[in-house]
Amino acid sequence: MRYKSQTIAREYLVAALLLFLLQVVFGLLNITKYIWGYDPLLNIIPFNVSRAIHINLLVFWLLLALMGATYYMVADELKTEIYSAKLGRVQLGILLASGVAAIVGYLFQWNFGMPFLEQPTVVKLAIVVAALIFLANIGLTMFKNHHTLTRMTATLLGGMVMLAVMFLFGIPFMDNLSTQYYYWWWVIHLWVEGAWELIAASLVGWALIKVTGVSRQRIEGWVFAEVCLVLLTGVIGTGHHYYWIGTPRYWLWWGAIFSAAEPIPILMMLVDTVRHMLGARTLRTVNTLGLAWLGASAFVHFMGAGVWGFGQTLPQINRWTHGTQITASHGHFAFWGAYGMLAIALMYIILPELSGQSTEHGSKVGFTAFVSMNFSMIFMVMALLIAGIVQVYFQRVLGMEYLQTQGHMRLWYEVVLVAGSVFFVGTLLVLWDLLRLARTLPVGEPIPETEPEAIPGD
Amino acid sequence: MPRTHKILWIATLFSAFAFLGMTVDSLHRMSARTHADQLSAQVVEGKRLWQHYDCNDCHTILGIGAYYAPDVTKSFAQRGEPWLRKFLQNPAAMYPAGRQMPNYHLSGAQIDSLVAYLGWVSRIDTNGWPPAPEGMAPAQGAASAELAGSKVYLAQGCNACHSMQGSGGALAPDLTHVGSRRSKAWILQQLDDPRRNNVQSIMPSFGQLATGDKQQLADYLVSLK
Ligand code: HEC
Ligand code: HEC
Ligand code: HEM
Ligand code: HEM
Ligand SMILES: [Fe+2]
Repeated sequence: MRYKSQTIAREYLVAALLLFLLQVVFGLLNITKYIWGYDPLLNIIPFNVSRAIHINLLVFWLLLALMGATYYMVADELKTEIYSAKLGRVQLGILLASGVAAIVGYLFQWNFGMPFLEQPTVVKLAIVVAALIFLANIGLTMFKNHHTLTRMTATLLGGMVMLAVMFLFGIPFMDNLSTQYYYWWWVIHLWVEGAWELIAASLVGWALIKVTGVSRQRIEGWVFAEVCLVLLTGVIGTGHHYYWIGTPRYWLWWGAIFSAAEPIPILMMLVDTVRHMLGARTLRTVNTLGLAWLGASAFVHFMGAGVWGFGQTLPQINRWTHGTQITASHGHFAFWGAYGMLAIALMYIILPELSGQSTEHGSKVGFTAFVSMNFSMIFMVMALLIAGIVQVYFQRVLGMEYLQTQGHMRLWYEVVLVAGSVFFVGTLLVLWDLLRLARTLPVGEPIPETEPEAIPGD
Repeated sequence: MPRTHKILWIATLFSAFAFLGMTVDSLHRMSARTHADQLSAQVVEGKRLWQHYDCNDCHTILGIGAYYAPDVTKSFAQRGEPWLRKFLQNPAAMYPAGRQMPNYHLSGAQIDSLVAYLGWVSRIDTNGWPPAPEGMAPAQGAASAELAGSKVYLAQGCNACHSMQGSGGALAPDLTHVGSRRSKAWILQQLDDPRRNNVQSIMPSFGQLATGDKQQLADYLVSLK
C-alpha cells in the first residue's frame, strides 16, 4: 500500500466476502426448497423471499467488491490519495444500511416485486445517493489528477457512470408489464453485458499490467477495442430479451444477429489475458493465486457468458428454452466466471498489498478453495443444464404439466445440492484464506516496491 | 487514437443511437400489441398486487422471473377464471401435495384485480410464445368429444391429485378405469359437490365450471373403462 486512503478498499472487500458467504447459504436454502416440496418455512421465508435475498446479495457483494477495487485501482493508477476517504466510508455505510433494510423488508413483504430489483423505492433512492457519492469521489480524484489520468481509469469511470444511469430505469412503477420489462432489461442486461463488462475489462487490464508487467500501451489498446465491441454488440443485443414480451417481431432479427456476436469481445479478452500471462510470466514477483483466479476467470467468463449465452440466444432455440433451468445454468456460470471469480482475483491481488503480506506462493487452503469452488460450480451448472433439457423436452415439447415435470428433474436438483455444499465449503476456505491475507502484520510503513517500467508523471 | 479505434468508437455510438430509435418505435407498437387501452384501474391494481407479494420471485411471467412455479402468462386462458379464483382463495385446496404456494388470504377485491391482470397478460401478443407442445399423444382411438374432455381434465389440474396411466398425483384414486365403476351422473355430482359423497373429501368443488365443460369432462371419464 502506498496511499493511506487505499485502506477503504479493504473495508469494501471484507464486507463483500462476508456477504458472499451469506449469498451461498441462501443458495443452498433455495435448492432444498426445490427438492422437498413440503416447506416448513413457507410462511416465514418462502421461496420468493429466499431467492430475492440470494440474488440481491449476489449483486450487492459484487458491487462492493468492484467499488472497493476501484478505489484501490484509481489511487494506484493516478498515484494519489482518494479525494475523500471519509466519503468512501459514508458511502459504504449507506450501502450496508440499505442492504440490511432491503433484506429485513423482504421478510415483511416490503417489496418492489421485480426480480433483482426487489428493493423498495426508498431503498433504491438511498442506493442512488451512495452511487452519486461514489461517482463524485472517484470523479473528483480524477479531476484533481487529470494530468496522470490513464485510459484505463477513464474507461472504468465510464463503466461506473453507465452502471448508475441504467439503474435509474429500474426505479419507476409502470402500468404496462411489457414496458416495465422492456426497461427492466436496461438494468439487468445493460449491466452484465455492458457497464459491468467495461468495469471488468479495465480492472483486468490494470491487474494484468500490475501482476505481469506487460506494457501499458499494448494492454490499453486492447481494452479499448474490447470495450467498444462489447457495446457495439451488447446494446442492440438487448434484443435477445425482446423476443416474447409483447415487443415487435423485428427484434427476432436484431436481437439474434447482434447478441450472437457478443461472445467475440469476450473471446478477445480471454485470448488477451492468456497471451499476456504466458508472455510475462517471469517479469515480476508472481502472485500465484491471484494469477490463477484471473486466468480461470477469463476462461469461465467465456464459457458461461459466451458459450452458454450463445447456446440459447437464437430465437429458434430460445423459444423452447426461455425461462427454464437452462437460463439458471447460464446465469450461475456467467455471473461466477465473469464477476465472482474476478472479484476473488482482485481480492487476492489487493488485500495482500494492503497488508504487506507475501503472496509469492499461495497457501494450501487457497488452492483447495480454488479447485473445490470451480469444480463444484461446474457440476452445479451441468446439473442445472441437464435439468433444463429434461424440462424443455417434457414440458415444452411433450406438454407435460409443470409440477409433474419438476418431479422428473429432482435427481438433478439433488446433484446441485451436493455440488453446492462442496461450493459452500470452498467459500469458507477462500474466506479464511483472504481474511488471513487481509490482516496487516507490520503496521504503518509503505512497502517498497520495484517498478520495472517508468510511468510518466511518477 | 489509431484509425481502427476511431472507426470502432463511431460505430459504437451509432449503434447506441439506433437502439434508442428502435426503442421509440417499439414502445409505440407495443401499446397495440399489449392492448394498452385495456389497462383498466383494476388491471393496474392487479399488477401492483403481483409486485407487492413478489409473485415473480417464484413464478415466471412472459418467461421472466424464477423457475420454482409455473409460468402464468397463459394461466387465465388455460385454467379459466373460476379455477383461478378458487385457486387464489386457497392454493393448497387445489394442490395439496407437492410444491406449495403461500396462502395470502387475499380479499375478494384483490382476487378480482389479480384475475383481471392475468387476463390482460394472457392477451399480450408474445410472437407465439410459449410454443404449443408437440403433444402428449391422445389415448388411442379417442373420439373428439373425449379429446375435449381430456383437455378440460388437464386444464383444471385434476392430475394434481389424481393419476391416470401412471402419471399425475398420488392423493386421490387413480382414474385410468374410472368409467368401469362410476356413472356419468355420479361423476357430475362429484364435480359439483364432492362432500355429498364423502363429507371429509379434500377434493374442491368444480361446480363453477361451464356446463359444456362439465359434460365433456364427464363423457371423457365414463369412457375410461
Ligand atoms: C413461494 C412461491 C410462490 C409465490 C410467492 C407465489 N406462488 Fe403462485 N404458485 C406457486 C406454486 C408452487 C404453484 C403450483 C403449485 C400450486 O398450485 O400450489 C403456483 C401456482 C400458481 C398459479 C396457477 C398456475 C397454473 O397455471 O397452474 C397461479 C395463477 C399463481 N400461482 C398465481 C400467483 C400469484 C398471483 C402470486 C402472488 C400473489 C403467487 N402465485 C405467488 C408458488 C408461488
Ligand atoms: C385436491 C385434490 C383433488 C383434485 C384437484 C381433484 N380431485 Fe377428484 N378426488 C379427490 C379425492 C381425495 C377423491 C376420493 C374421494 C373423496 O375423498 O372425495 C376424489 C374422487 C374423485 C372421483 C371419484 C373417483 C373414484 O374412483 O371413486 C372422480 C371421478 C374425481 N375425483 C374427478 C375429479 C376431476 C374430474 C377433477 C378435476 C376437475 C378432480 N377430481 C380434481 C381429490 C381431488
Ligand atoms: C457476463 C456476462 C453475462 C451474465 C452475468 C449473464 C447473466 C444472465 C442472467 C442472470 C440471465 C437471467 C436473467 C433472468 O432472470 O431472466 C441471463 C439471461 C440470458 N442471457 Fe446472459 N449473461 C451474460 C452474458 C450473456 C451473453 C454474452 C449472451 C449471448 C451471447 C447471453 C444470453 C442470454 C440470453 C439469451 C438470456 C435469456 C434466457 C431466457 O430466455 O430465459 N448472456 N443472463
Ligand atoms: C451453493 C451454491 C448455490 C446454490 C445451491 C444456488 C442455487 C440457486 C437457486 C435454486 C436459484 C433459484 C433459481 C430460480 O430462479 O428458480 C438461484 C438463483 C440464482 N443464483 Fe444461485 N446458487 C448458488 C450459488 C450462486 C453463486 C455463487 C452465484 C453467482 C456467482 C449465483 C447466482 C445466481 C443467479 C444469477 C440466480 C438467478 C438465476 C436466473 O434468474 O436465471 N448463485 N441459485
Ligand atoms: Fe442479455
